[in-house]
Amino acid sequence: MSAMTSQATENTTHRGGRTLRIAHLYPELLNLYGDSGNILCLRRRMEWRGITPDVMEVHVDDTPSFSGVDIAFIGGGSDREQRIVCDKLLAEQAEIRAFVEDGGVLAAVCGGYQLLGSSYLMADERVEGLSLVDLYTDHGDPRLIGNIVVESSISPQPIVGYENHAGRTHLGEGVTPLGRVLYGHGNDGVTGYEGVLYKNVVGTYVHGPLLPKNPGVADYLIARSMERKYGTTELEPLDDTEELAANQVMYHRLMAGEVQES
Amino acid sequence: MGVRNSCAVGLGRLTSWGLRRVLHRNASQMPGRVALAVDPNAIAHLAPKLSEGAIVVCGTNGKTTTNNVLANAIERSGRTVLCNRAGANMAAGVAAALLPGSGADWAVMEADELSTIHILPQLQPRYLVLLNLFRDQLDRAGEIDHVQDTIVAALAASPATTLVVCGDDPLSVGVALRAKKAGTKVLAFGIGEDLHLPPDRVPEARFCQVCGAELAYDYRAYAQLGAFRCPNGDFERPKLDFVATGVRVDAHGVAFGVAFPEGGTAHVSASFGGVYMVYNLLAAAAAAHLAGVDAASFQAALDGYHPENGRLQHFTVGGREVVLNLAKNPTGFNQNISLLQTDTRPKAVFFVINDDFNDGKDISWIWDVDFERLLSEKDLLAFAGGHRANDVQVRMKYVGIKAPVASTVGEVLGRLGSVPLDRPLYVLCNYSALWPAKAELEGMGERHD
Repeated sequence: MSAMTSQATENTTHRGGRTLRIAHLYPELLNLYGDSGNILCLRRRMEWRGITPDVMEVHVDDTPSFSGVDIAFIGGGSDREQRIVCDKLLAEQAEIRAFVEDGGVLAAVCGGYQLLGSSYLMADERVEGLSLVDLYTDHGDPRLIGNIVVESSISPQPIVGYENHAGRTHLGEGVTPLGRVLYGHGNDGVTGYEGVLYKNVVGTYVHGPLLPKNPGVADYLIARSMERKYGTTELEPLDDTEELAANQVMYHRLMAGEVQES
Repeated sequence: MGVRNSCAVGLGRLTSWGLRRVLHRNASQMPGRVALAVDPNAIAHLAPKLSEGAIVVCGTNGKTTTNNVLANAIERSGRTVLCNRAGANMAAGVAAALLPGSGADWAVMEADELSTIHILPQLQPRYLVLLNLFRDQLDRAGEIDHVQDTIVAALAASPATTLVVCGDDPLSVGVALRAKKAGTKVLAFGIGEDLHLPPDRVPEARFCQVCGAELAYDYRAYAQLGAFRCPNGDFERPKLDFVATGVRVDAHGVAFGVAFPEGGTAHVSASFGGVYMVYNLLAAAAAAHLAGVDAASFQAALDGYHPENGRLQHFTVGGREVVLNLAKNPTGFNQNISLLQTDTRPKAVFFVINDDFNDGKDISWIWDVDFERLLSEKDLLAFAGGHRANDVQVRMKYVGIKAPVASTVGEVLGRLGSVPLDRPLYVLCNYSALWPAKAELEGMGERHD
């Protein structure tokens, strides 16, 4: 882990000196849809509550270690980049699985979401995934592109964002989706479900990016990691006026049919 | 010219006349659509009317400015030019621009990157200028790999076209390498020195197009453009045929010298733009040189160039300077931030983002813009506008800057009220937001060239 960039401020003692370590996996490869916004959002929402964010970027030549990680984030990239990342992570599969089974928080968006399953398709080749959650991805035509709204148990507000994927993700029997699609396509455009929830793993096709406009999801990730590390889920409430306005404006535009998708 | 084409041209011209004279509407595309509907090969059938040939300009950012400067320069040298000046850059726009008159010396056409596959095989231009490739409108254009594949295929179907490529851009050079292997002649332009500018974020892939290793740079001008090489030795900036040196970039504009491939140099200067403009003007100077334009004509055309398309237009409203510019993707926005930071005065900014089809409906890219650089601005006043004003406001909140929502430029100017008039307002808009802002400013402001 020594080679990785860690931006913890060593001597800051915030209230109780609480620190959460965020591992941003391969930001230089998986950054297609404003994914750095998700990290910035987690960072600020921790800082505003006096929790020290320790953001560690895992680069392609690093050997990722998940010990000491509280929240891991993996974003979306092009097929080529996703393949490079998948090969790297497969080498660490046992460790990632142990992290997930131990209640480690993992948020995976778009391509990163597809990596969670047993396999996905690249062109017409079946690529082995990390098998962390019982799901797999094949693809269909057309690409599922457009704004999306999802109702989810983890967020008090509807989750609003954008999706752009050829993949159709199929959840195994009894696997819990992140939520129900109110607008857009979701996992496969057919079942009406979007994303996955497994232990403290959140997988989703929603970018836009996901967290800044959906503070409920951001706080869910922070609360779960606080619970695992410090045994508390209580988060100091924040003034989310701007975030909720952005969420609501798009929710209403979309549900009122004011946005033409193509 | 066959019966079908005569018919296509006739109907296209009639449509153009009807739109302009009867309906008083813009005729930049519809006549071309009509002509292409009657004759799908209308562009190929119109091409022979060009006595010297065609030049096509493409690239993510800077097409319209480069294309229009080039067209003006060729005209200034005494030749006649057909040009899609308004920026209608798909096949219909090119066909429409080819309709007028019985002949011309040159056609100078900007082309949307994905439309090159429809335009090049038909037009068979002498030169294709490829300015740069950045991530833009992923929902519509797809990933950059797809854009590269399209341009390579377009060049393969137009074998006599010489590719004039930005040698500093690894993504454009990736296209050039593949085209060259297939037999395309390639000429490269680039900046031959370290400009020592403050570094900006590199939002694009900065990886070797051959082996995927991270590229090393001797120096970088902006985004992924610079003197790059793969550490494994299989990919590097090509030898530059058109080299800019002695580059000056400041609040007054840009200036540089260009060295031409067969020897000889020219001095180029403009009262507008940042480092991205050096590349646009270098590309235009290279293409103009290839079209036989002398250096004096090129500079004269540049001196007389007054953009009227919302690109870097200056206005004065009630004594306050207002600068309007297009910023439609992360690299464009980052360059605009660099540009406004060359202006050391305290200032106000108004970021206007729409999500119409022409803009790309997915605006997640605003999180890839390095707005954090604005934190170094003293007394910055920021406002957010457009259909996605609230998203812009959230983005700014996470930078640490308050940006109240405003619906028009007029409203922002009103809210600046007592703020001293020597503080300018920069209005940065994406595509569909640009036109209303421009119309508003033209209605209430005094224009400055």
